[in-house]
Amino acid sequence: MAQPLLAVDGIEVRRGMHVVLNAFNLSLNSGEVLALTGENGAGKSTLLEACARLLPLEQGRILHAGVVVADHEGRRRPTPLVLGLALQKNGMMGSEFVVEHLETAMSMSGHSVDPRPFLRAFSLEHRANDLIAHLSQGQARKVAVLAALLPAFASKQPALILLDEPAAGMDERSVSVLCEWIAQLRISGHAVMICTHDQRLSDCATTHVDVSTSEATEVIPNEPSSQLDMNAQPVKAISPAAFGWKMQWRTLAWLNHNAVASLLTLGVLLSFGDLLDDLEDMQRYGFLLAPAFAAGLCGEAMVQASREERTNAWWRAVANANPHSGILPLALGCLLTLLSSLSFSVVVEPNIIIVGGLLTFVTWHIIRLLQEATNRLARPRAVFVGLLTPILILPYALLLDLLSQ
Amino acid sequence: MKQKVGEGLLFFGFAGIASTLVLALLWAPSVSIDAFESPAAQRIFYWHVPAAWAAFIAFGALFVGSAGWLFKRSEVMWRLHTAGAEAGLATGLMTVWSGCVWGAAEWGTPWDWTDVRLNTFGLLTLLAIYLVLGRGSQPDGVETRDTFAAFGLYGFVLVPITYVATRIWSIRHPGPVVGTGDESSINGDMGLVLLLGAISFTVFIIGHIMNSMRVTSLEQRLERLQATMDKVI
Repeated sequence: MAQPLLAVDGIEVRRGMHVVLNAFNLSLNSGEVLALTGENGAGKSTLLEACARLLPLEQGRILHAGVVVADHEGRRRPTPLVLGLALQKNGMMGSEFVVEHLETAMSMSGHSVDPRPFLRAFSLEHRANDLIAHLSQGQARKVAVLAALLPAFASKQPALILLDEPAAGMDERSVSVLCEWIAQLRISGHAVMICTHDQRLSDCATTHVDVSTSEATEVIPNEPSSQLDMNAQPVKAISPAAFGWKMQWRTLAWLNHNAVASLLTLGVLLSFGDLLDDLEDMQRYGFLLAPAFAAGLCGEAMVQASREERTNAWWRAVANANPHSGILPLALGCLLTLLSSLSFSVVVEPNIIIVGGLLTFVTWHIIRLLQEATNRLARPRAVFVGLLTPILILPYALLLDLLSQ
Repeated sequence: MKQKVGEGLLFFGFAGIASTLVLALLWAPSVSIDAFESPAAQRIFYWHVPAAWAAFIAFGALFVGSAGWLFKRSEVMWRLHTAGAEAGLATGLMTVWSGCVWGAAEWGTPWDWTDVRLNTFGLLTLLAIYLVLGRGSQPDGVETRDTFAAFGLYGFVLVPITYVATRIWSIRHPGPVVGTGDESSINGDMGLVLLLGAISFTVFIIGHIMNSMRVTSLEQRLERLQATMDKVI
């Protein structure tokens, strides 16, 4: 029996100053493929992103498997379903490897399958260990679409797959392969929603919905020529913190973004020379901890990095959080405070090293939250989040006061 | 009519502020020399305190506007948010700048990073700069409005902290001089000039907010007309 996987209940969604969707209703059951059609600007991508809980609702609610996952009062809950997502942007960073990205996507389902047959079918097997930055636009699109489909192929339960213009930039043969996979997923009991202008993909659907008129038309889809036999292995889900940690070390973004500012701060303080001998306790702690504080004030490099190809939106949809560096700032803060203690030739106090680590950790993540708060803006890089960083100077001063007592 | 009221208030506010300055510099009695390191600089107080009062009104408008947009989706409330941010920026800078000059003369330093009131008020002013510059950098839309209204709403938590800061943590900034319930530390003539300043700044800030809301309304009307022209041409 068909299981309801997605219900859109009277939603109103605004983009800019326009109401794009108004009192819109839709349902999608397991074993169904729904093709969203309509002119440019009709609201297809808006509907798909609202279903992925990426857009706030003015009215109505979204349900996944009967659970309200987003509503007009701003509530947003984790989806109980395995979610496969390919946005118009690819949702992956250039510093990820192809196989690594696919394994990350599959890990969200708790299971993994061998991605090589899929890569082979998309003529990408020889690129499996390449960086995504090294792929052509069409190849990167294929990887993004595979990252949406593979969690469903690996999943033991019905999955919801959302595809926004998946065939954009794909060659003819790859589109045929994609249609075959969509048909196989439908037969296996998964549900697929596709925004498309491509007739070949529309032919895979069981229902066509014209978003501008809300009219739904039942159609008879193409049948798959074969059924894949998957041997899924259980795996642990990769968290946004684990992903962020990995990307930080691969790109050394922390060195460029945080550590350089911190080391420059230390260098400037050391240039005071003899003045350092006559410091009061509070000033001495201020000098010792300043490099750790400067590292934290620079914020989270992953916020900027994950804006590439809307990687942050993909993570927010499938894992409920943006990638971040987890405990990296704690380790960096401890290291920098140790370095400043040695540089100022004072006795290394373990408690001050730990305070330095915690200072960087807390400062870093508060600035991260301020940075992430601007993610919804049309031009997030144009706002001056740095103006708000002095909010942390008073707590820093009070911390120094406390330490000196 | 509304336009004339706004401009009239702005004019009377300016005139009142100018009168306050003249009275503060030429007529108001000086304070006891023993009580202040720099008694002449104390006259900045007739500008500093009313400006801070007006800033709190502006930040109140910002808070009400932010909440009204987020919870009611009201266009008028969004205009109040933008007007509150602009008025908060103007009066916040007046307060911070005059405070720094006074602090430099009285304490020997224009700023103290460990003083809670100085820092929270400075942050409120930085928040206003952030909101004014940020809004100018973004296209108008629900995403822009939601983001900045949220900052306006959360930022308002600094207002009560700033207000009570000198009562709880008296470090450098002096405590309240009026409305404490104790015998006031300012005499009749001083109080009169201060009252004139407070009324003038209040009138000025209301006029500023009214005019600013009108400008935002005209900007929105212009955008609507341009959008209509886009469809016709």
